[in-house]
Amino acid sequence: MQLIKDFINGVWNENPIFRMVIGICSALAVTTAASNGIAMGLALTFVLTCSSILVSILRNVIPSTVRIPCYIIVVATFTTVVDLFMKAYFPALYEVMGIFIPLIVVNCIVLARAEAFASKVGVARATADALGMGLGYTWAITLISIIREIMGSGTLFGYHIMGDGFVPWIIAILPPGAFIVMGILVGIMNMIARKTVKDTECH
Amino acid sequence: MNQYARMIIVLVIISMASGAVLALSYAVTNPTIQEQARQKLEQSVLVVIPGATRMEEIQKEDMTIYVGLDDEGNKKGIAFKTVGSGFNGSIEIMVGYNPKEGKLLGIEILSMSETPGLGARIQEEAFKGQFKGKSVEDEFVAKQDVEAISGATISSTAVASAIKTSLDKVVEIFPVGGDY
Repeated sequence: MQLIKDFINGVWNENPIFRMVIGICSALAVTTAASNGIAMGLALTFVLTCSSILVSILRNVIPSTVRIPCYIIVVATFTTVVDLFMKAYFPALYEVMGIFIPLIVVNCIVLARAEAFASKVGVARATADALGMGLGYTWAITLISIIREIMGSGTLFGYHIMGDGFVPWIIAILPPGAFIVMGILVGIMNMIARKTVKDTECH
Repeated sequence: MNQYARMIIVLVIISMASGAVLALSYAVTNPTIQEQARQKLEQSVLVVIPGATRMEEIQKEDMTIYVGLDDEGNKKGIAFKTVGSGFNGSIEIMVGYNPKEGKLLGIEILSMSETPGLGARIQEEAFKGQFKGKSVEDEFVAKQDVEAISGATISSTAVASAIKTSLDKVVEIFPVGGDY
């Protein structure tokens, strides 16, 4: 039960993008096409899950004074592994994501979950949390990128869906479009969250 | 065990393990990465030299020249890489050239980070195609003999002048009409 709770927490209640608004640098930059969103999400989920598991296993071994360097080494290692494999087997995607794959190292979601959660709980809970956070990040940036791709290019996963008369709103695939789309989505998420909170006096 | 020793030991072990993992993944992926890069390069060379089916790389006066050959080994033209400074960063271009006639065979944009919908349209055939058949004697000035993309004069100029600069160098190495 606790595991399911940890998992759902990341996907919805504490969604990194829409609720906590962390790790949005990559979320704003690569979300110009739906396939980029999914790929970035999966890359982050992989790094997050592997590093959370390892940090959780080593939580009693790593002295607290050097914990941050240790976490960074672990995260950087997995990120570089993803970087190399992506370059070798998905060169087209790698070209689009460019610098943002290596930058997973400094994505605050990964370090925040290692520091705030994985280093304090067992492997099972750390895994559930990492998968939840990763999935939460993935669906959030995929949604942003689907909206931006449809508006900005008139396509979805590269297929034209808006018909010939459609004039793309180029701003949607430019940086300002990322902020606008994300802002609106965060607003909608807040509206939904407000409705589902029963005890309004807390807020 | 005192805490300083423990600190050092843990860090060393983690770093060594990380190094081992990285060395292993590098060894596994590196051949594929090299192969991908080579294939990509070859493909772009073959695109800009019509009729070529394979290429040979030669070094001439600090320029790398790719010679395109057909199945019988006849030279179909040469290709070279050039870099222009665009609106948002550098634009890498592969240029196909026929030294016998002194004319361009075609160009291909290898990488760029221009504005989508404006500068990025340098990748479209409508823009790239106009360089086909251009002569070394042409001026390569946007809005004069090169048709610029409206709203993207900087990107268009960057491509045209980058080609002109490198082309002048290539012409010095391989004079028009001469052998190559």
